[in-house]
Amino acid sequence: MEKVLIKGKNFLGFEIDINENDIKSITKELQIVLASSSHLIKNTIVTLKLNSKNQLFAKDIINFLKERGISINAVVINDKNSINQEDIPPVIELKNTHTVTSKEEHTATYKGNLRNGQSVKANGDLVIVGNVNSNSYIYATGNIFVLGDLYGIPHAGYGGDEHSVVFAFSLHSPQIRIGDFITRSPEEEANTSVKNSKMNEPEVAYIDNNNIVINSYREWIKLKE
Amino acid sequence: MAGKVLTITSGKGGVGKSTSSANISLGLALRGKKVVTIDLDIGLRNLDMILGLENRIVYDVVNIVEKVCKLNQAMIKDKRTDNLYLIAAAQTRDKSAVTAEQIVELTEELKKDFDYIILDSPAGIEGGFKNAMMPADEVIIITTPEISAVRDADRVIGILESNNKTEMSLIINRINPELVKKGDMMSKDDVLQVLNIPLIGVVPEDKNIVSYTNTGEPSILHSQSESGLAYKNIIQRIMGENVPFMEINEKKTGILTSIINFFKE
Repeated sequence: MEKVLIKGKNFLGFEIDINENDIKSITKELQIVLASSSHLIKNTIVTLKLNSKNQLFAKDIINFLKERGISINAVVINDKNSINQEDIPPVIELKNTHTVTSKEEHTATYKGNLRNGQSVKANGDLVIVGNVNSNSYIYATGNIFVLGDLYGIPHAGYGGDEHSVVFAFSLHSPQIRIGDFITRSPEEEANTSVKNSKMNEPEVAYIDNNNIVINSYREWIKLKE
Repeated sequence: MAGKVLTITSGKGGVGKSTSSANISLGLALRGKKVVTIDLDIGLRNLDMILGLENRIVYDVVNIVEKVCKLNQAMIKDKRTDNLYLIAAAQTRDKSAVTAEQIVELTEELKKDFDYIILDSPAGIEGGFKNAMMPADEVIIITTPEISAVRDADRVIGILESNNKTEMSLIINRINPELVKKGDMMSKDDVLQVLNIPLIGVVPEDKNIVSYTNTGEPSILHSQSESGLAYKNIIQRIMGENVPFMEINEKKTGILTSIINFFKE
C-alpha cells in the first residue's frame, strides 16, 4: 500500500489516506503527492484518514496542509480519546464501525426478474433486485437477499453454511433450502397466491435448532440483538 | 415495403393463440394493412378453420419450404378482404418438417410485399416454438389469468429474453370480472406483477367465441361482441395508436331486467 494516498470520494470530495508513521517521511510523501494534485483538491471537501499510530501527528499534518492552502474538513481516526482535540476539525471515529471482512466482500448482484426455468448461482452472498418467479432456482454459498417477491426456490448456504439466511420482501417459496436443510411450505398455504398476496411484510428464513424457521424481518432483527 | 414479423405465442396450450392470431390478422387487414399469417402449428392446424378458409387449402407451408410449389400458390386469399393471406400448416407432417432458418428465409421474402407477417406459434417451448420465435421482430404473448398459464408465459418470456427478443407485449385473455371480484381469479394487475412486460390488451371472457370459431367468423367481425371490441383496441395499439384500456366490469343489470328475470324464474 502506498504511504500517502489521495482518493476521490464522489460527492464527499477527497480523502487523504496516510499509512506512514514517521512524520518526516509523511511530509515528504505529502509534498510529492500534492505537487501533482493540490490544485484539484483546493476548495473542495477534504477529509484526512489516519491510523492509530500516526494520529498523534494529526495537528502537524493539518498545519502542514493548511500552509499549502488545503483545509481539512474532518479527520477520520480509529479512537477519539488518543488525540489532542484542540484546534482540530471535527473527528470521525472509526472505533465502532465494522470493516468488511474478505468473506463479506463477495456479494453478487443480479438486477432484473428471474423467470420460470432460469437460475442464478453465486459464490458468497447474492442480492437480487427484482422478482424471482415460480420454478426458478437461486443458489448462493452465503446469504440470499431478494429485493422483490420470491416465488422461486432459494438455496442459501449452498455447500453447508448453516448460518446463512434467506431474505425477501415477500416470501412465497414452495420450498426453502439452507445449508443441508430443506423445508416446504405448509399444504394449506399452497397456491393461495391469487387470494392474499398483498398482506405481506419482509421475511427472513434461517436455521434455528436444526429447523428452518421463517420469521418476519422485524422479529428476526430483534432476535439478532 | 419493410414488413414486420409478429409472433403470437403463449407457452401453454388452449389460451387463445390461434383465436388471437385470427383476430389480429383480420383486424389489421380490415384496417388496410397488407397481412400474411402463417400457421406454424404443423400437424395440428386450426387457424385455417378459425378464419373460415379450410376448404381452400391446396398447398401449405411445408410445400413452400420443400419447394413443391411457388410461394404465391400457397397463399390463400381471405374471402372477406384482399389484404389478408393465409399460409396454412401441413396436417400430415410434424414440427420437424421445417427448420427455423427456412422460416426466417420465408419471412424475409414476405417482408418485401407485406406490412405484417403474423406467425401463429404452437404451444410448448420445443422446435415448433423456436421456428416461430427466430424470425420475430415483435412477440405478443397470450396468457389467461390462471397460475399455470402465467407461469408458462413467464418461462416463454425468459427464453425470449435469452434470445434477445426484447420487443414483447402481453394480451390477457378470457378475464372474468365476476371471478376477479370474488378473488378466485388473478386480476390484470396480479398477472402484470409477475410477468412485468408491457400490456397491449385485455380480452374479456366471451361465451360466443366457441361459435365464432366453429363458424370461421372471428369475433372482430362481430361489432357488438366485447371480445371483438377488445381486439379492435389491440389492433389500434399494434398500429401505434394510443387507446385507453376499456373497463371490464360485471354486466350491470338494470331494475327492469331484474324484475323481468325475477318473473321468468
